Amino acid sequence: MNFILRRLGFYLVAAWASLTLNFFLPRFMPGDPATALFARMQGRIQAEQIQTMREAYGVSDDPLWQQYGAYLVNIFRGDFGVSISYFPTAVFDVVRSGFVWTIVLVGVSLVLSVLIGNILGVMGAWKRNGFVDSVLPPLLMFVGSFPFFFLASVALFFLSFEWGWFPLRHAYTDGLAPAWSWEFIRSVLYHLVLPAATSIVVAIGGWMLGMRNTMISTLAEDYVTMAEAKGLSQRRVMFNYAARNALLPNLTAFGMALGFVISGNLLVEIVFAYPGLGYQLLTAVNNLDYPLMQGLFLMITFAVLAANLVVDLLYVRLDPRVRAG
Amino acid sequence: MSATNQTTAAVEVSPVGQATPVPAEAAFTGPRRRSGAWLTQLLGNRKAAFGGLILLAFAAVAIFAPALAPYDPTEFVGRPHRPPSSEFRLGTTGSGQDMLSQLIYGTRISLGAGVIVGVATTVIGALVGLAAGYFRGRVDDFLSLLTNVMLIIPGLPLLVVLAAFLPAGFWTTVMVLIVAGWAWPARVLRSQTLSLREKDFVSSALVSGEGSWRIMLREILPNMMSIVAAGMFGAIIYAIGAQAALEFLGLGNPSAISWGTILYWAGNNAGLLVGAWWTFVPAGLCIALVAFAFALVNYAIDEITNPRLRSQRETNLALRRHRRQLGVSRATPVLRSAGQHRAAGD
Amino acid sequence: MTRQALQDLVVAFQAGRLTRRQLMQRAAALGISASAVGAVVGRSAHVAAAAQGDTSGLVTVATEQVATWTRNFNPFSPDPRWPTTNGIYEPLFVYNTISGEIVPWLATEWAFSADNLTLTFTTRPNVTWHDGKPFTARDVAYTLNLMKQNTALLGASRTALDVVSKVEATNDTTVAVTFSEVYTVGLYDIGTQNIVPEHIWSTVADPVNEPNATPIGSGPFGPVPVFQDQYYEVHKNPTYWQEGKPAFEGFRFPAFPTNDAANLATLNGEIDWASNFIPDIEATFVARDPENNHYWFPPTGATVHLYLNTMTPPFDNADVRKAVSMAINREQITTIAMYDYTNPSDSTGLSEAYPNWKNAEAADAEWVTNVADQANVLLDGAGLTRSGDVRQLPDGTPMEYQLNVVTGWSDWVQACEIMSRNLADVGITVTVQPYEYATWFDQLQKGNFTMSIGGSESGATPFNFFRGVMSSQTKEPIGTISALNWHRFSVPEADQLLADFAATSDTAQQQQIANQLQLLYEQHAPAVPLFPGPQWGEFSTLRFEGFPSDENPYAILSCYAPESILVMMEIKPKAAQ
Repeated sequence: MNFILRRLGFYLVAAWASLTLNFFLPRFMPGDPATALFARMQGRIQAEQIQTMREAYGVSDDPLWQQYGAYLVNIFRGDFGVSISYFPTAVFDVVRSGFVWTIVLVGVSLVLSVLIGNILGVMGAWKRNGFVDSVLPPLLMFVGSFPFFFLASVALFFLSFEWGWFPLRHAYTDGLAPAWSWEFIRSVLYHLVLPAATSIVVAIGGWMLGMRNTMISTLAEDYVTMAEAKGLSQRRVMFNYAARNALLPNLTAFGMALGFVISGNLLVEIVFAYPGLGYQLLTAVNNLDYPLMQGLFLMITFAVLAANLVVDLLYVRLDPRVRAG
Repeated sequence: MSATNQTTAAVEVSPVGQATPVPAEAAFTGPRRRSGAWLTQLLGNRKAAFGGLILLAFAAVAIFAPALAPYDPTEFVGRPHRPPSSEFRLGTTGSGQDMLSQLIYGTRISLGAGVIVGVATTVIGALVGLAAGYFRGRVDDFLSLLTNVMLIIPGLPLLVVLAAFLPAGFWTTVMVLIVAGWAWPARVLRSQTLSLREKDFVSSALVSGEGSWRIMLREILPNMMSIVAAGMFGAIIYAIGAQAALEFLGLGNPSAISWGTILYWAGNNAGLLVGAWWTFVPAGLCIALVAFAFALVNYAIDEITNPRLRSQRETNLALRRHRRQLGVSRATPVLRSAGQHRAAGD
Repeated sequence: MTRQALQDLVVAFQAGRLTRRQLMQRAAALGISASAVGAVVGRSAHVAAAAQGDTSGLVTVATEQVATWTRNFNPFSPDPRWPTTNGIYEPLFVYNTISGEIVPWLATEWAFSADNLTLTFTTRPNVTWHDGKPFTARDVAYTLNLMKQNTALLGASRTALDVVSKVEATNDTTVAVTFSEVYTVGLYDIGTQNIVPEHIWSTVADPVNEPNATPIGSGPFGPVPVFQDQYYEVHKNPTYWQEGKPAFEGFRFPAFPTNDAANLATLNGEIDWASNFIPDIEATFVARDPENNHYWFPPTGATVHLYLNTMTPPFDNADVRKAVSMAINREQITTIAMYDYTNPSDSTGLSEAYPNWKNAEAADAEWVTNVADQANVLLDGAGLTRSGDVRQLPDGTPMEYQLNVVTGWSDWVQACEIMSRNLADVGITVTVQPYEYATWFDQLQKGNFTMSIGGSESGATPFNFFRGVMSSQTKEPIGTISALNWHRFSVPEADQLLADFAATSDTAQQQQIANQLQLLYEQHAPAVPLFPGPQWGEFSTLRFEGFPSDENPYAILSCYAPESILVMMEIKPKAAQ
């Protein structure tokens, strides 16, 4: 219980830190939302109309601490301000739709890469110098060395554009109404294949090596030897005794990796025009939509915090030592 | 000590999602003042030698760029999007510059940024980690909190947002990458310091009245050099990848010539769409090769510092024959094991 | 010949009238290799697949680049969904940039009073709003008054409304706009203002933030049957006042987050009408389907300039500005940075949007040609002597400057790189410095720069352009925002000419004055004109035809141009062959 309370405290501090960081970032910048919007219009409205837009946005001249207070209150209410590129829509409404798709993409690619990576790691450690152990690590390491966006661009160009095997963009066929129908789900899965595959291919090597190395250490433990001595089947020893214990340190890595995986998926989303948070973040950057950028940054950070909290709770369940300590 | 820090992360996943192994454990057998042994072993390791060779080659290219490049990389020397020929070995870019010359000069900025960020994050991380692990108590509480907050804030969005707000340029990118990258080495080195602090040689140094910073830098730091090195290589991989990503998104300085900007311009000039693969593929390959080389070296360090990873055949045989060869000297497996991991990847 | 035969075969194959084997056999008979057939079948199948989902008669458009569509059809907001303005809502008249003519729209006639202080519009009878209620002159008066009262509402008339004192509908078909001072160029601002129905908007509580999800306008388009995060449709107004128009069912809009994504779809044959920048378009787009893929990039956008801050010596000297201009190789810029999509500027600074206004006498001054020798002579003459490779000011300061450009605007960045190399040849060291738009723009407006690339004002007449580059009215001290006159240049003659221009409603007289303004520009070189900005526009005739092009230039192709409503009137499904 103590452990959980301490963790909650930590997450509160982390949340506050990112909120504050988020508040000060745009205030380093000259110009204001109206200028930014004018940039987006690129000559479609006259320069002298900027003042009009400034009025529409209600640019504030209050002292900084007052703005900060108002900002915290607003965030607490779920009010992230009004987006510039989607004026007059609230940032929160813009972000909400992207959130779902990021969860889908990150969820699928993370779970699959962790699953496959860990199984390969277990296999590699079990059969040292076998095929899995000797060929896969260098190969996966090499593939994993390519930048995310590079692999994604190449895959998009050949598999989608030149050969037409996969869709070019979006999370489902344009115009299809979202519903729990087979047609819709199939469309979603079809659109998910390339983005997810790219991030799985890049990430899998790290999980495999990590699992392999901890497994090797675990396999040398007395209780594994003991289990073997009892004559238990290889499979049972491998998964029930060794892998289970080796998984524990990997679990925290899982929580930590989440932030990184979301980061990586941002690039994949951008290349595949997959409508998640990353894709929105890039358009926000391109359109100088600072309120939206801030909102997205906060949403991503909070998502990572929440996921880590879940991992912590899981950890408490799986590792009795933490509860005791 | 907060409970987070007891937990272990066996894999380092860089913000661009690339994963590199962190040495599972430096093999400490007792007070060991000189720890250069792993370095000698490293030179004899085939993986490390191969990785090192690639890196040396790239470093040479970076240093001798003016001599190696056939053209001025910014000069418009030919028609746009010419395929590779004897005149232009790697063809021309979408605006008619020599691709090979750009690639050669690009090595300087890409490698340079990587190394600067790698060294800087490692130095900052080492100082923070050493201080936190050595002083413990409030200092540790504060520094650990800072580190963990930085760690948990997702990297790339922060990079993108920071880079979008600040004026574009080489040093902006470097600064941003350092700000977002120092926390990981700090965390790894802190837990290592925590465990080393308990060793006899530190206690004896304390007794003999050595100053805190002297102990940290002269006694503890040399004993975890392999982890520091591995952390640094990991940071360099992260920096090269993240810099390329930022530049690819157009958040760097597109006038500077680096691998990332080559990819940015290739995208802008529709290199792939017109079939000019030579504007896109070589730069991506270079990034991958450098990252791969560093990863190989790290892999080798891992093998050297963790004897179990090395003695593969024996381990297997030992397990098969139900012999207790490796576990002999270790007692109470479960807790002991957790302790090891704690010291290791964390 | 063979090509056509092959196409026919492929069509037959796709329609199921031929098996794959028959196809190959007949192709071989025509002397076409199997791989060539394969390529065509593959590509056409691809295109056919793209076209298949679109049997609805909707024109697919690539316009704004956003990740997610938000349902905003408010014509007063800065960025409503296309085609809210000049599509769902309509103006009083449409200005056709290409022909230089005004096309009557919701107004049939208009005239200034003798003192040029009152502008009277006669509105079109028998026009109804989408909900069936009649459109009258009172709606026009309501719209203009609403904007006058609420200065946060955007619209074409915004600038002119500052000098409008009263707007009144005298009867159902007449509306009178009274100016507080003579400002005849306001005609275009008022005339192109989109009109909203009074009976709807008088009930809207907050017109600034109103999303107007179900727009009621008078235009050729209205119903929005589908609106999703990444996709929406706008269908035609079946009771449009122009009978038989539009000739197609409506528009569909997939969302493209980046230029790259929009380009991929365009090259893939999914888009009928687009306004994106496509690099190397002949090779990337046209070559994929030369029969159907077309583009037209008329250089009618604002002229891109190199701005030299005239408050910073030596750029207060016209000779130095001309020397800089002569050092620049415009051909290289338009070829390399702009892919030959535009041509070098002439010495009037005006783009190709003003064919009726150009003064040939002012157009071909020597200072817009690339003569480095002459540039050196002028610089020497200005007392800027060389010391080694770099020139010095009389006080010994080397001529080293920073050239500001916007991060990520790759064509501009490349143009700046070229200028930097060009200027090095005459002894001026220039470092290209990219800034984020807001920073770049802030420095530009406040005059905190020495060299910067930038756009300029455009409009139906050259009035706005010259007011921006040469008027003391738009000039502000360094550090104060100047919306237009970034380089801080003014001459009294220009002020007088601009005042005369705004005081007459006689076009011939305005053209006379514009001629003199151009001579003034040619004489002083207030800024360094580089090239007129092209207006991107692409179309595919796979499914629809009637788009404007180089051969049939009836209006600008770009969807962003207000006159795109003229294009909407002409698009029709491709006639069956």
